[in-house]
Amino acid sequence: MKKIFHYPLVLLFGLFILGFTLADFITPPQEYSELENRYLQQRPALTLRSLLDSSSTGFAQSYETFISDQFVLRDQWIDLKSKSETALLKIENNNIAYGKDGYLFEKYNTLNQERLDRNVGYVQSFAQGLDIPLTVGIAPNSYAILEDKWPVGFQNLDEKAYIQKIYQQLSATSAQTLDLVAPLQAHNQDYIYYRTDHHWTTYGAYLGYSAYVQSLGMEPVDLSTLTAHQVQDFYGTYFSRCKKTNTPADTITYYDIPITSMEFNGKTVNSLYQYEQFDKRDKYAAFLYGNNGVTTIRSNNNLNHVEGETSRVLVIKDSFSNCMVPFLTYQFDEVVVVDLRYLPAGLNELIQTGDFDQVLLLYCFSSFESDTNLSRLLN
Amino acid sequence: MVFSSIMFLFRFMPVAFLAYYLAPKKLKNFVLLVCSLFFYSWGEPRYVPIMLASILVNYAAGLGIKRFGHNRKVRVTLLVLSIIFTMGMLFFFKYTNFFLSNLGALLGTTFQPLDIALPLGISFYSFQIMSYTIDVYLGKVEAEKNIIDFGAFVVLFPQLIAGPIVKYSDINRELKSRTITLPQVEDGVRLFIMGLGSKVLLANTIGALWTEVEGIGFANLSMPLAWLGILAYTFQIYFDFSGYSLMAIGLGKMLGFEFPQNFNFPYISRSFTEFWRRWHMTLGSWFREYMYIPMGGNRVSKPRMYFNLFVVWAFTGFWHGASWNFVLWGLFFFAFLVLEKAFLKPVLERHHVAAHFYVCLLLPLSWALFAITDFQQLGIFFQQLFSFQGGTDWLYYLRNYGVTFLAAIFFSTPVIKIWYERFICKHAWLKILLIGAVLVLSVAYLVDATYNPFLYFRF
Repeated sequence: MKKIFHYPLVLLFGLFILGFTLADFITPPQEYSELENRYLQQRPALTLRSLLDSSSTGFAQSYETFISDQFVLRDQWIDLKSKSETALLKIENNNIAYGKDGYLFEKYNTLNQERLDRNVGYVQSFAQGLDIPLTVGIAPNSYAILEDKWPVGFQNLDEKAYIQKIYQQLSATSAQTLDLVAPLQAHNQDYIYYRTDHHWTTYGAYLGYSAYVQSLGMEPVDLSTLTAHQVQDFYGTYFSRCKKTNTPADTITYYDIPITSMEFNGKTVNSLYQYEQFDKRDKYAAFLYGNNGVTTIRSNNNLNHVEGETSRVLVIKDSFSNCMVPFLTYQFDEVVVVDLRYLPAGLNELIQTGDFDQVLLLYCFSSFESDTNLSRLLN
Repeated sequence: MVFSSIMFLFRFMPVAFLAYYLAPKKLKNFVLLVCSLFFYSWGEPRYVPIMLASILVNYAAGLGIKRFGHNRKVRVTLLVLSIIFTMGMLFFFKYTNFFLSNLGALLGTTFQPLDIALPLGISFYSFQIMSYTIDVYLGKVEAEKNIIDFGAFVVLFPQLIAGPIVKYSDINRELKSRTITLPQVEDGVRLFIMGLGSKVLLANTIGALWTEVEGIGFANLSMPLAWLGILAYTFQIYFDFSGYSLMAIGLGKMLGFEFPQNFNFPYISRSFTEFWRRWHMTLGSWFREYMYIPMGGNRVSKPRMYFNLFVVWAFTGFWHGASWNFVLWGLFFFAFLVLEKAFLKPVLERHHVAAHFYVCLLLPLSWALFAITDFQQLGIFFQQLFSFQGGTDWLYYLRNYGVTFLAAIFFSTPVIKIWYERFICKHAWLKILLIGAVLVLSVAYLVDATYNPFLYFRF
């Protein structure tokens, strides 16, 4: 047995494999990864049926997902891979391309045309069945506006052309389309998109908000009349995926916007922001307390308030709108926000009983294209 | 299960090897058989009966040939039956839908394709089993009496899924008695880690470029990007396949088996004749031994020899996949091998640089035939390869993959081997440091990877 010390490679390899296997068994599984922003796979139950199931929900595949999700020192391994890619002078990692001035962009070369057509179809049908004025806005992702931040030779889908085409398809319906490309393009030298996250900044959202309320013939609130606060050290979703070293952090800005109440999931709060979330990793989730099925915001901010009347807007949205919605309290007494991903059914009932003056459907392009819940517009 | 996975490295490997090393000598083959069956059935248990049937049929055929060896008729019948059964399985699972769709096209109708999936590794293990029965028939090897030993030969997990194609005669002595020595295990560990690195660090990373090029759509490529894409695939398929073979050979050594070499720096070849002596060597030798030579080989008239070559290369192509492009790919090599035999060989031998250019330019084209199954897409891709239209798209990819390409080129040449033998292997700690780095980085990439497609699942 002593002879094995003459073969250190065998010894070390054996120790490496056995050591990590044992460490992996001892380490209790994590429920949730804050870095990856998702629930991790737990140990699957072993039954005869699941064992014979060769699909992704079968035992074998679930177990493999489980051990790689839960592998000991997982975050450090992923860091190491990112560093190694940088050492190979790569300018991307895990589908995130490294642009100029610290901007990160998602590589987005293919889309599911069938699903996109289907989603446009749902919006068309939704518009036809609706007797309230509807505005549809598709916000471009950061790369589509910030062309001067691209790495040399970078190529992605031409989102602007796709958005234009979607708007054309909607022109036959009663829906108004909202041009978000032009106002964002006009400010492409400003801090309108996060560098490390896929969302627009609060300022980008303000530009979108202004375009919307102006299209309704209203005046947007003047930003200089509001008190701004800044949250430093925000590393968003793009960063979580590529984990590029030396990426400068983003700054989140939020404004003091008083409200009477905000209701969601049977809870009532008196603020638009979940302040403690600003101290955590996923700081963007502070806006509107993250994504919830139905959120109702009441305030006394309405600049055009008519005594004895309550004006209402319904916003159907993805997370892009979470930092935009607060501004709408300056035009509407009540803002009702629906996230279809968390509202399986009941949109129609909500619309019929809600007495809305306006409906706004606002998505960013990539989530509009990939969303699988837009059929719920018709439920 | 594939070797390049957390599941294999940190679950299967520690358990299987501990059980194997601790088992008494008599039980080692049994432990191997059980472990290999678990390895094979993991995630896809429904194909196990098909493989067990092949084992039983060929085991019985071998015994029958031995028992009734004096009767030629019986002997031939048993051989033919076992070939029909084994190749029939391969044919049924791999080619039925291909022939149905072609027959349909021929008759102007469409047949509903059957809902059959390819059993893992069937192309490899069918060939391995056939080598046994044919060799028993030819009297080259003794029939195996012990079903456990025979079963262990067929399902031996290192070479089960993607080769090398180990003939029974390669390891029959080791199956009966083998000594596992530490130098051999150390060699095995080293080869396994190098194979793992080849697959995970080189093949997967450079393969990502080809996947992207496919995603962008061939019609949208600039000429430089089309070439970068197919070069990436050229390296991907080499490092993927040879890496997998290397892992298999390494695991074999760790178990006490010596498997035949499967790749010998094929990309430094100066002719396609040489290429096929360096690429997937066990497949080439299988076809030579069990097809080309029985057909008469080159001891026949010239036209007949060319016909033999044509058949062998059409089948070689077809073995790689049930689609016409693979046949075309095989015939591509047939054409160049014939040209080389006819007049090109002396020319290539005189002009070394030109010979390298000839191989390096044409090989990527052959891999395009291999990679793109759809003929319309194939046409578009070839147009882009010679469109003489620039663009800027390739700048991004060249910058991103530049170092990876350089590494791939470097590791395709024997320089790495020479350096290793000259400078590295004498310094024990340097060796451990480098090999350890490959292992640690491979694990990092595996943990990170959602991207770990295994190219050879189609076989």
